[in-house]
Amino acid sequence: MITLAKSEEKKKSGVVIRAIRKEDAAQAAELLARLKRLNGEFDPLLKTVTVIEAAAKRSIDQAMSSENSVILVAVEQNKVVGLVKADVTDRAFYEPRREGAIVEFYILPEFRRSSLGKELLSAISEQLRKKGADLITAVFPSQNEIAKRFYTKLGFRSLTNVYAKAD
Amino acid sequence: MSKSAKQKRRDTSKLALSYSKYYAGKMQVFPKVPVTSLDDFAIWYTPGVAAVSLAVAKDREQSFQYTNRWNSLCILTDGSRVLGLGDIGPEASMPVMEGKALIYKYLGGVDAIPLPVNAHSSEELVELACQIQPAFGGIHLEDIASPKCFEILDRLRERLTIPVWHDDQQGTAGVILAGLLNSLMLTGKKLSNSRVVMMGAGAANIAAAKLMISAGLRPGNLILVDSKGVLHSEREDMDHIMIQNKWKYELALATNSERVKGGIDEAVKGADALIAASQPGPHTLAPRTLRMMNKDAILFALSNPVPEILPSEAKKAGMKIIATGRSDFPNQVNNSLIFPSVIRGVFDVRSKAIPDDVIVVAAQELARYTEKEGTLTEQHILPTMMDWEIYPLVASAVGEKCVSMGIARLKMTRKQIHNRAQEVIQKSKNMINSVQKSNFIESFSSVNKKINK
Repeated sequence: MITLAKSEEKKKSGVVIRAIRKEDAAQAAELLARLKRLNGEFDPLLKTVTVIEAAAKRSIDQAMSSENSVILVAVEQNKVVGLVKADVTDRAFYEPRREGAIVEFYILPEFRRSSLGKELLSAISEQLRKKGADLITAVFPSQNEIAKRFYTKLGFRSLTNVYAKAD
Repeated sequence: MSKSAKQKRRDTSKLALSYSKYYAGKMQVFPKVPVTSLDDFAIWYTPGVAAVSLAVAKDREQSFQYTNRWNSLCILTDGSRVLGLGDIGPEASMPVMEGKALIYKYLGGVDAIPLPVNAHSSEELVELACQIQPAFGGIHLEDIASPKCFEILDRLRERLTIPVWHDDQQGTAGVILAGLLNSLMLTGKKLSNSRVVMMGAGAANIAAAKLMISAGLRPGNLILVDSKGVLHSEREDMDHIMIQNKWKYELALATNSERVKGGIDEAVKGADALIAASQPGPHTLAPRTLRMMNKDAILFALSNPVPEILPSEAKKAGMKIIATGRSDFPNQVNNSLIFPSVIRGVFDVRSKAIPDDVIVVAAQELARYTEKEGTLTEQHILPTMMDWEIYPLVASAVGEKCVSMGIARLKMTRKQIHNRAQEVIQKSKNMINSVQKSNFIESFSSVNKKINK
């Protein structure tokens, strides 16, 4: 787990972006559960399990103890209002060799449309580059047009596709 | 509903069935030019008509001058949410659309063409409305399911150069606003610092919420309550709402600045007005809920056929002013008070649109009428359809606003619009009366004899 120096904390109208801390974990898990339920809105194959809250908490705890994961939170007065999580992996066959994949990204409704998303993305990109990732990717449901617009606007493009079929 | 009310409903249903069958529809197409011999067709049809077509081809706007387009309204529906009957399909919606066309003709002098269609997606309906635009001066959307209706209205407002109106949203919202303005006046309150709660987040209430905000209500002082409870920006299903109904989502973000959570009981604490358009009563709203409201509280219980709580019970629970959707109680919130005059007004100045500000003006004018007439009381917050002067009055306020907003094709004064509206409406009424007198439209009494044989 990485920790941001005090000077790297970004402030915007009372919202601070910083590395996740132990005391944020429960709230971060709530946001992650919200994200998974939002994903469920886009596709029945993303319907969440009934124990989604517990699964989200486990996922946060695991990431916090992993060298290869980065979680940043946006906090307003001790309240976690945004979350971004990325995993760093090696690419065996391609250049660039190291990839930072943004796998979770969620902001509470009333904190959207305030450029907080853009700031969270640039903060985590910076952290991932420090970990040697020269390629930043983002994973989200195919039907999520909001995410598509967000990343496209910031210069991202579609790289690989995941096609699914359930029996 | 009481026993006699139920009986009365059954009788009305029986009459509607037998009369509708006898008359075989409520509207027909009828000429408006003299035809004395077949020679006249040389003027109305070939060869004369070619000159008229060429004039319109040169300047398409002339279609409002040379044809009946200026007064033609399309009542467009897919029949996906008809009255309280649900998705009964386009054919079954036709009796309702014909009825609407009849009200348009009688109260507004508008030639409305019912057009129920087999189109189901928003895209299909939007495309269709754009394709038929050349034939009409306006499009009236009716009985289209929510939230599809919001998207269709928004997209048509962007794409059409003729006005578009969705009665279940704007018509209802306009009358609610008019009734609320007068209720607040009677209780010595102002919209800008009132606290309003809306129960039910369907098309009518969402449109009414937006319109009240346009009219000056502070969004933060408004609380919406749906079947899951108070709407607020932190509610767990906010993302679901964002995907399913972005109009409701926007309201959830903008309203309820105090972050009230819970149910209707929590929402109404200290509220000045409660506007319910949720589930039919009479026990949807409990007296104890109403008792938590502010002094001189206002209740609109708009569910049909039975209001959320009966007016007598609401009165006992301390409500100062009570309105319902029913004609057999005082204060009926009835769309027919507003849609014929809004369309009359936009037609007479050939407006390109009906922005929310125009509907606010229509509501204000409607509200002003009872006040001006000196008939404004707690039992009479709105005029009724019998007050025929409201139609040209509201039409002229609507027309004037369109002119001042720069969306009218004709620059007319308020007086000119009023005279024009009055003339068109009166002529329409006279025609209907005259064909009835000459028995081309048979009277009920003569038909009764035949039916009962």
